[in-house]
Amino acid sequence: MREFMRAYVRIVDKFNHHVGRFIMYGIFAMMAVLLWSSISKTFFLPSLWTLEIAQFIMVAYYILGGAYSIQLGSNVRMDLFYATWSKRRKAAFDSVTVFMLLFYLGVLLFGGLESTIYSLEYGERSPTAWRPYIWPIKITMCFGIIMMLLQAISELFKDIATLRGEKL
Amino acid sequence: MPYEMIALLMFSTMMLMLLTGQRVFGAIGAVAAASALLLWGDAGGADIPFSAAMKLMKWYPLLTLPMFIFMGYVLSESRIADDLYKMFHVWMGPINGGLAIGTIALMVLISAMNGLSVAGMAIGATIALPELLRRGYDKKMVTGVIQAGSSLGILVPPSVVLVLYAMIARQPVGQLWLAGIFPGLMMAALFVIYIAVRCRISPNLGPALKEDARRDVTLAEKLRLLRAGLLPLGIFASMMVPFVIGWTSLVESSAIGALTAFLAAIIKRRMTRQVFETSLRQTLGISCMFMWIILAALGFGAVFDGLGAVKAIENLFTEQLGLSPWLILILMQLSFLVMGTFLDDTAMLVIVAPLYVPLVDALGFDLIWYGVLYTITTQIAYMTPPFGYNLFLMRAMAPPEITLRDIYGSIIPFVMVMILALVLVMAIPEIALWLPDYVYKK
Amino acid sequence: QSTIKWRLQTYAGPALAEHVIKPAIDSFNKIARDEMQIELYTSDALVPTGELFRAMQKGTIDAVQSDDDSMASPTEVTVFGGYFPFASRYSLDVPVLFNQYGLNEIWDSEYSKLGVKHISAGAWDPCHFATKDPINSLEDLKGKRVFTFPTAGRFMSQFGVVPVTLPWEDIEVAVQTGELDGIAWSGITEDYTVGWADVTNYFLTNNISGAWAGSFFANMDRWNELPDHLKELVKVTFDSSHYYRQWWYWGGEASLRVNGTKMKLTTIPDAEWDQVEKAATIFWDEIAAESETKKKVVDIFKQYNADMQKAGRPYRYN
Ligand code: NA
Ligand code: NA
Repeated sequence: MREFMRAYVRIVDKFNHHVGRFIMYGIFAMMAVLLWSSISKTFFLPSLWTLEIAQFIMVAYYILGGAYSIQLGSNVRMDLFYATWSKRRKAAFDSVTVFMLLFYLGVLLFGGLESTIYSLEYGERSPTAWRPYIWPIKITMCFGIIMMLLQAISELFKDIATLRGEKL
Repeated sequence: MPYEMIALLMFSTMMLMLLTGQRVFGAIGAVAAASALLLWGDAGGADIPFSAAMKLMKWYPLLTLPMFIFMGYVLSESRIADDLYKMFHVWMGPINGGLAIGTIALMVLISAMNGLSVAGMAIGATIALPELLRRGYDKKMVTGVIQAGSSLGILVPPSVVLVLYAMIARQPVGQLWLAGIFPGLMMAALFVIYIAVRCRISPNLGPALKEDARRDVTLAEKLRLLRAGLLPLGIFASMMVPFVIGWTSLVESSAIGALTAFLAAIIKRRMTRQVFETSLRQTLGISCMFMWIILAALGFGAVFDGLGAVKAIENLFTEQLGLSPWLILILMQLSFLVMGTFLDDTAMLVIVAPLYVPLVDALGFDLIWYGVLYTITTQIAYMTPPFGYNLFLMRAMAPPEITLRDIYGSIIPFVMVMILALVLVMAIPEIALWLPDYVYKK
Repeated sequence: QSTIKWRLQTYAGPALAEHVIKPAIDSFNKIARDEMQIELYTSDALVPTGELFRAMQKGTIDAVQSDDDSMASPTEVTVFGGYFPFASRYSLDVPVLFNQYGLNEIWDSEYSKLGVKHISAGAWDPCHFATKDPINSLEDLKGKRVFTFPTAGRFMSQFGVVPVTLPWEDIEVAVQTGELDGIAWSGITEDYTVGWADVTNYFLTNNISGAWAGSFFANMDRWNELPDHLKELVKVTFDSSHYYRQWWYWGGEASLRVNGTKMKLTTIPDAEWDQVEKAATIFWDEIAAESETKKKVVDIFKQYNADMQKAGRPYRYN
């Protein structure tokens, strides 16, 4: 079991780390699209697709980056009590309350999958003049949510290890 | 169960969950998802959290968020504001408290170029703080100045906090930003007055620069430093001018601003690997934090809307309790101030938005104006213990001779000034509303 | 016996919903009392408009007021909802097409397949451009970023219009922040009602459709669960919403053109606008070629317009 947890944490953290580091550069992609949007609008005909592409990139940015941001510890907590606790105590609480996170992400994923299946089934397109298919972004979202789920489980394993006085 | 009860239950559960210290978005999201499932069962209850993600995607002003966060990090990490600080230093040095006043001015400029207060904090703590201490300024005075000054970052546009308020309250970002300008400047002016008066009474709090220190700086040098102000001005202009002319939209301008700041740092040879790495990573981290909280909050809001709970609560306040609109408004601000001591701005917004915003609207108040009130209380919340971002940052960045006691003590006068500003804006809404009204009136 | 509760989401924002739907819901609730209550949600309140259809199909929402196009229903008739270019000239054309020319039956069968009840269709206002800069010729339309309906946008893009779709609530701001140069989503009544007249300066009197066509829908199971008398009440009160819009827009359009002070009127000369009308007939044929059902609908439009033409004044003046 310990071996499994160790391997799990190593693999998941590594994977999410790499995806997060990659999508981190997405900010430049957003800039480029928005820049092109202003240029094309000022000098030629405005492009149909810029705003939507920028929005898609933004979604990918924060959904795929989510798991990495958990690793970075960026997510705020209300630390009225939390801040004063010992490491062990934090781990103890987290290993219980993380199930809230798992539950939320699970429901999010469930809704996401259903929505994605619908998109695929009906060939759903964005109701804009550009009319891109929606499924690619929905699949990206589901994928990112799965990464978040895996990361949350990894955090749980780490907390369990802390409680046992080990380090994974 | 009647709606009021369900709504109350949702709120109290959420507060309780937040207290456990779990990540804010997880706690809020879980309550939202659970109540959606309980209320609507399998007939779509599970859809609510995810459809919030689609809502978030469609809300285009959110694109400015990573841009302005990135811009802030580039500015602070690359230290391209150093020269700017020196400029204020040299020019304001000769008067009592002048350096502190110069620091406020610096903070106003920094605020005009980024959407949060972290950048101002970082710049203030790394550049201004050591310098001020070296010049014999009172340590409480300077820590207070930096914390308060940097909090202007969210009131003076661009403001990330106002973007989020706009999203949740469905109000125009452009108008909100304009509404922040005068209250922001007014607050800066109040800080300056406070510093000037205080240092006049007790000059040892902020001694004027010594004669010899002043003589060291030639006029040519002084003028050279004045030019340092051009760079930030240039960055600001690069995003504002095309926007005002109508060439670019708000979102596009934010991208141009971020890019210009980035290029400026490269040209000034300050964009080292280290700076590049930190700016990118921090931007991702902070953006993700914000986005995930808002995502969860939108889900929560949708369930809450779905309950029709707002009407019930409106009714409770006005009809059953018979409170007057102004009294309700004042109570709200007080509750914000209390909540602000231990909650962060987004959590506060998420909790109160479904409740307060429709209520404020129903009472006949202006939601743009209310956004400014909310932002000022947020600024205060950043500085009041136990939970305050600027406090934390100060704690992390301050040199060891500044104790926690100093930090906590330093904020008191500034918080009072901010409360004064809040009261002024409440009493005279025109301070906030005149500019947006003027600009958007045809 | 407990009260039946329906959640109905409209695609209109709050200011507009005040007119186009709220009166009908209020009368429904007044009459149905403890038996049934409908709760009204404005655009994007519970789910974003793009997800509206699916939410109704699944039962997250019980009923919807929208055009097929905006809510992106996965049916063969979706393109005809909203503003199908030049499909109608007057707002009375829409109920006639549905009730007398057979569109009701087509819609009914299309939506039944997907577990959605098509309750009834009605007309709203004509589709005009409201812009920051004046439009006096087709040339002036070039490069304008305009908020409009998906299908109308697709059609107008051949004239250089750049259609943009944003959440309804954000439109006013988007014009201010420069995301949009204008709006082609409504007639002048709505421009004034929802505040767009405050952010734009010009109103183009040529329209790309004389009346919006949209419908009330419900989740099929929820519908079937209703006792007959409540079904009847739903229909009748929803018809009262259709009726309200008939006079509210018809009178409103004329009155604001004459008395409105916020927007200046401009017109593209008939001879030039004719190009757009011609393009529409080509567009119709393109759409008809896409499927049997679409062809059936287009044929009905053609038949109807031919009949009106023959009938002469006051149905058609040229
Ligand atoms: Na700012
Ligand atoms: Na606080």
